[in-house]
Amino acid sequence: MAMAALPISEAASVALSPALERAASRLASIVGPRAILSRPSELVTYSADGLPFYRKRPALAVFPETREQLIAVVRALAEERVPFVPRGAGTGLSGGALAENDAVVIGLNRLRRIISIDPENRRAVVEPGAVNAGLTRAASEYGLHYAPDPSSQTACTIGGNVAENAGGPHCLKYGVTLNHVIALTVILPDGELVSLGSTEGERDGYDLLGAFVGSEGCFGVAVDVTVRLVKNPESVRTLLADYTAIVDAARAVSAIIASGVVPAAMEMMDGPTIRAVEASIYAAGYPVDADAVLLVELDGLAAGLEEDVALVERLCREAGARSVRVARDEAERARLWQGRKKAFGAMGRISPDLVVQDAVVPRTRLPDVLAEIHRIAQETGVLVCNVFHAGDGNLHPNIAYDARNPEATARVHHAMRAIMNACIAAGGTITGEHGVGLDKLDYMPLVFTDDTLDAMCRLRDVFDPERRANPGKVVPVRSCREWRMAPNTRRGELPA
Amino acid sequence: MTAAVGPTCALPDTPLAAAVPGIMTCVHCGFCLQACPTYLALGDENDSPRGRILLMRSLVEGTLGIDDPDVHTHIDQCLGCRGCETACPSGVPYGHLLEATRATIALARPLPLVARLILRTFERPHLLAAMLAGARLLRATRLPRLLGRLPGRLGFAMAMLAATEGRVPHRPYTRRGTGARGATAVLRGCVMRGLYAETNRATERTLRANDYEVVDVAGQQCCGALHAHAGDLEGARRLARVNIAAFERSALSFIAVNAAGCGAMMKEYGHLLASDPLWAERAAAVSAKVRDATELLADAGPARGASLPLAITYDAPCHLLHAQRLVRPPLAVLGAIPDLEIVPLTDTDQCCGAAGIYNLLEPEVSGLVLTPKLANISATGAELVATGNPGCQMQIGAGMLRTRTGRGTVHPIDLLDASYSRAERSPT
Repeated sequence: MAMAALPISEAASVALSPALERAASRLASIVGPRAILSRPSELVTYSADGLPFYRKRPALAVFPETREQLIAVVRALAEERVPFVPRGAGTGLSGGALAENDAVVIGLNRLRRIISIDPENRRAVVEPGAVNAGLTRAASEYGLHYAPDPSSQTACTIGGNVAENAGGPHCLKYGVTLNHVIALTVILPDGELVSLGSTEGERDGYDLLGAFVGSEGCFGVAVDVTVRLVKNPESVRTLLADYTAIVDAARAVSAIIASGVVPAAMEMMDGPTIRAVEASIYAAGYPVDADAVLLVELDGLAAGLEEDVALVERLCREAGARSVRVARDEAERARLWQGRKKAFGAMGRISPDLVVQDAVVPRTRLPDVLAEIHRIAQETGVLVCNVFHAGDGNLHPNIAYDARNPEATARVHHAMRAIMNACIAAGGTITGEHGVGLDKLDYMPLVFTDDTLDAMCRLRDVFDPERRANPGKVVPVRSCREWRMAPNTRRGELPA
Repeated sequence: MTAAVGPTCALPDTPLAAAVPGIMTCVHCGFCLQACPTYLALGDENDSPRGRILLMRSLVEGTLGIDDPDVHTHIDQCLGCRGCETACPSGVPYGHLLEATRATIALARPLPLVARLILRTFERPHLLAAMLAGARLLRATRLPRLLGRLPGRLGFAMAMLAATEGRVPHRPYTRRGTGARGATAVLRGCVMRGLYAETNRATERTLRANDYEVVDVAGQQCCGALHAHAGDLEGARRLARVNIAAFERSALSFIAVNAAGCGAMMKEYGHLLASDPLWAERAAAVSAKVRDATELLADAGPARGASLPLAITYDAPCHLLHAQRLVRPPLAVLGAIPDLEIVPLTDTDQCCGAAGIYNLLEPEVSGLVLTPKLANISATGAELVATGNPGCQMQIGAGMLRTRTGRGTVHPIDLLDASYSRAERSPT
């Protein structure tokens, strides 16, 4: 794992380079002096995202409020050849929205309008800073919702979701962000405005929209996003199964998938997570003495749903559930979900600092991998809280610790690396939905060959040959062969 | 975070040093962002709970100085509405962190003159009474209604005064319960006594009608909430001790408070004086008796009144909803009024921008926060807005007057009282 940036004080306030000086004055004239931050004390906040283990202070932060301002900002930065990092709500969990001190943060949180909702075609067009849950709230009057529901949905932005190809509990049935973005207007790092995808149905040719979604801010900035809206299900049932052994819960997951039922969501929380949530204002009534709970949601047409509920309940019990309860009403259902979705934020009750991982393993390997995580936790003496999308095999081990203790910190990082290695050894991969960002750069060579990483670099060159958009993220720079040979080459100067 | 707080805090022996455990509870998840009115209004994370906590952490770490003007700006711009606390999964005690930060900043930089003048006035009962009497005289001329349309701070202040005019008729009635629910003192309050005296009477009448025995307690002063929120914790403690001594003299079951901000403060007297060995226990004992007046009424039912066919909307005061975590009691009070239609208000959990004396100190941001509130109120079509805190009543009332929206604000208890009064006059 890469080491964190220095504490702010040591990254003393550096004088801006001439290019940045020029950029700063041009940006100020575009957005107005109150929408640009340049003093170190005001940039502290923009030195971390949702994974504050990493801190890197940007040179400037700029907040366009209109589409025209955003386009002008990117064009000015292109002309001055200044690198930039787009940032939504800063809830990302891979350090992806952090900028080095020669780069400019483009804060998209003021571009938050829902431009239009088209209930007939079940579509919405939003600005990149529109908040995920706000879109669902706006769509609800038409009986529609936006399906990808990351746990941070009350805060995170659609633009950020596009960058990370965000998932969420309900992606088990409904698919991830990629499956819900129809079209994008993108400003490329060189200032060119392009349309990706189409509202008129599939177009021939390569799927450039698909390449952009999940590109972690390295391919440009979305100016507007056209998304699919999904009809609210006629009927929803949410079950909570309670286990005294987490491996039993993991077996239930495989049994449910094998039965052919496709739950809308299937989530697991282990004992330490349950207890953190139950101590919070989001207490959901989870059994605090359980080793794990499984939260299973079934939805669809009312006809046949009760049969599925009965089947899932039986499978949960057969795997060893102590009890299975079905939410009686919408209020109880909402409470069960709030507890799950706020679990990450509740970890602060345990210790002041937190690292969270995001790995995917084959579902059938969940029991072994969970047992291995438990063993690693015991061996390294750290507290691992597991809260994850069990139906997708998408694990989120959280380790709460106190960074003021360097010895404990070292053990935490050792444990994290061991957990990631165990996931990879089980046939898994290093991110399900949080992205690579900064945090997982070092893991990339473990799952991809040099040739694959090189191919990724070449794909990036199509969108951003100067590599000014979110530099230093996703693909380790040393993996890009030509980059390795000539680290400061610019477009047109690449070695043959 | 790796930028670790060393074994020593950069600001030892300050209120902020004591707040370090609370600061460390934040894991930077960002779930508070959309709950923060100033973040929504200004679009800068420095003006969000998470950003402000990072500024506090930087002060503690010594990476930012206590004299840093940017820190002052963003801490000053916090409303202290505590909307973030009811969004925070980790339970960060943000209100306490803010007060500790402001108190620590106050060691380096005196409070603004306007703030000092207001706070000192609230500490001097005779001076305050004289000022409020003057305000009542001015209100009686009806001039503030006109002057309230003027632009700027003065115009807004006049509109706030005009907003305190009664919106529902208060006619005394004799209905009384058994008194069996216990001896209850009503906090007189400062603005409540000076400008909303009828609401205080209504509180006493409705409590009596619901089986509370209302007793008068002499020697009360300002509760100290304005002082604590501004970072004048010593001023708040001085006032708290006066009030604790006053309320201790009577054998009380409850202290009823009809101003949400004052109730939130008095419920925290125990915390405020926790490190004062002479007062800690006494403070906690008094805090334990404090209830919002609507809590007491809701516990008693409340008894139903006569029909009041009005369309109103309800806005939750932040210090009731977020600080005291009370959702149901004010709605139970309104629910006891037959034929009262309560039109739901969008974003009722968002602050109106009053925040004690914030609207006088930070008029620009306060106005930005008030704007969406007024739009949401306008969308309900309701003529009256019920809200149980004088600051919110004045802020929203002033905004309504200046934008010619509806008739103004009332306290939920005003409506219950009017309903009881009607019941006695025309039994149904």
